Amino acid sequence: MRAKRFRFIATMIITLIFLLAWVFPIVWSVLNSLKTDQDVLAYPPKLIFHPTLEPYRDVLFGSGSILPNLISSFIISIGTTVITMLMAVPAAYALARLRFRGKKFAGFYVLATQMLPPVGIIIPYFLVLRNIGWIDTYQGIILIYLSFSLPFAIWLLVSYFEDIPFEMEEAAYLDGASRMRTLWRIIIPQVRGGIAVTIVFVFLNAWNEFLFAVVLSGNTVRPVTVAMFNFVSVEQTLWAKLAAVSVLAMLPVVILGIIAQKNIVKGLTVGAVKGGGRR
Amino acid sequence: MTGRGQVRFEDIVKMHGEFSALKGVTFDIEPGEFFALLGPSGSGKSTTLRILAGLDAPTSGRVYMDGRDITATDARDRDIAMVFQSYALYPHMTVYENIAFPLEMAKLPAVEIDLAVKEAARKVKIEHLLDRKPGQLSGGQQQRCALARAIVRKARLFLLDEPLSNLDAKLRMETRAELKKLQRSLGVTAVYVTHDQEEAMTLADRMAVFMAGEIRQVGRPAEIFAKPNSIDVAAFIGSPPMNLLPARFADGDVIIAGHRLKTAMQAAGEHDVVVGIRPGALRIAPDGLEARVELIEDLGDTKVLDLDCAGTAMRIRVGDESVPPEGAVISVTARPHDIHLFDPATRKRL
Repeated sequence: MRAKRFRFIATMIITLIFLLAWVFPIVWSVLNSLKTDQDVLAYPPKLIFHPTLEPYRDVLFGSGSILPNLISSFIISIGTTVITMLMAVPAAYALARLRFRGKKFAGFYVLATQMLPPVGIIIPYFLVLRNIGWIDTYQGIILIYLSFSLPFAIWLLVSYFEDIPFEMEEAAYLDGASRMRTLWRIIIPQVRGGIAVTIVFVFLNAWNEFLFAVVLSGNTVRPVTVAMFNFVSVEQTLWAKLAAVSVLAMLPVVILGIIAQKNIVKGLTVGAVKGGGRR
Repeated sequence: MTGRGQVRFEDIVKMHGEFSALKGVTFDIEPGEFFALLGPSGSGKSTTLRILAGLDAPTSGRVYMDGRDITATDARDRDIAMVFQSYALYPHMTVYENIAFPLEMAKLPAVEIDLAVKEAARKVKIEHLLDRKPGQLSGGQQQRCALARAIVRKARLFLLDEPLSNLDAKLRMETRAELKKLQRSLGVTAVYVTHDQEEAMTLADRMAVFMAGEIRQVGRPAEIFAKPNSIDVAAFIGSPPMNLLPARFADGDVIIAGHRLKTAMQAAGEHDVVVGIRPGALRIAPDGLEARVELIEDLGDTKVLDLDCAGTAMRIRVGDESVPPEGAVISVTARPHDIHLFDPATRKRL
């Protein structure tokens, strides 16, 4: 009894430590985004202060508005996600189902691209984009993001497709459905959870990406992760504004997470409860 | 619908790399027939069904349906319905949508689909479950749903791949009888794969016994039971299986463990044979083979006795009449026409 209680308390303490470490930067950002610059730098830090929406007003509607950057981020992330999914779903289905020469190699290649350190290929990518004149363009950034998100999405989706028994397709086939129709009517509805999870991950990766964006974008295309650094300069850092932008940039992530939460949990427990109709 | 669903398999070979799953299989199925493909697992019966359905292509040989060569015809265009062992119900659709799916693919008008779905559901007694998802059904109900999906479009041919193997024993017996009635009332040709010889015996009009990628015997179940054409078929059909004993044939008699039994075969000469006697054909009588009772298995209405006859194991099925106790030494015999003779070298019936 005593050991059990001790274990419970220990678990709670450890969980709490992790939770605090994880939640601190977010709380810090949210609090600072509501302060004036004086309040931010006050020492000791003020716990009680007059909240203000000034930083938000500045970063959204001031001279250096980040609204265009937020829009840039949306175009890049949504573009990457849509193109990735359009290509990854049929590709993953093919990898999971069809028997063709070089399938093993294709599977390995898909995984191997995930192991390259991104810094190692940033220069070649830069040269490629410059030669085709796609530096600082949406198509350029999206193309580069695709090179990461596509293999990742395929790899993630294959396992979901593999979970669906072959007989399901054969039944549909004998019922008179074509391959495409089987995919749309029978297979995809059963991997909805996996598709939702993949969409979330691909979108978030594109939304949060910084390294490639900073090298390959410029003035026309400048996602919010890059634009944020306007508020950090040699002379000073505009903490309140930086915090406000961070919070704004976090919002879509949080919203998407909440919407997809149910599917993500379901997606991660695949196999345990899925496909009750099978047997 | 009679006159449809005639099938001819002509010298079908199926290779999986070096391994030959089917080694030249030939048989005919008549319209309206309930035809069983019976055999142990890995004997090629499921491969045969898949080739018939068009899910696999044969390496060589031809498949005909109603006189037309369908060897190269796409599975979708064969007009064949199939019930899978796992049922393969679409888990995201309701029972109604599952049954309607093949009709929807055939682009039937919604009104017709509705009528047909309800009719099919009524036939298999699941009309009260149409709004459920497969996951909310019991095993037996899922099985009925799969059946309904197969019968709804009135296909030329109806294939069943071990459809009862996932049901418990009691439900299996019930469903078996219903399946037979359903097939008769619909008048469709049905091809049924099973490894359960009892299922094949009770359901089939005719059956083909598969072993190691070949058909060993085709015929009516009673015929095959009464006259198995080889040692292997004899050992496979019947429960408990036929007793097979090495013996010596001598001028119309067989000598088993020093004892002579009369056979129905009138031939002179002496040679080695394998004698087959069904457990139910053996009877306890004086002046027969001496055997010791090793074990008694009580099946309720009958009992199966495991015997030791001079080192050879035998089984006898007896009724409720005087059952000897375990350990007793008894004498058993069989009537001449109950004794099957096989050639030990070719394993064929003599």
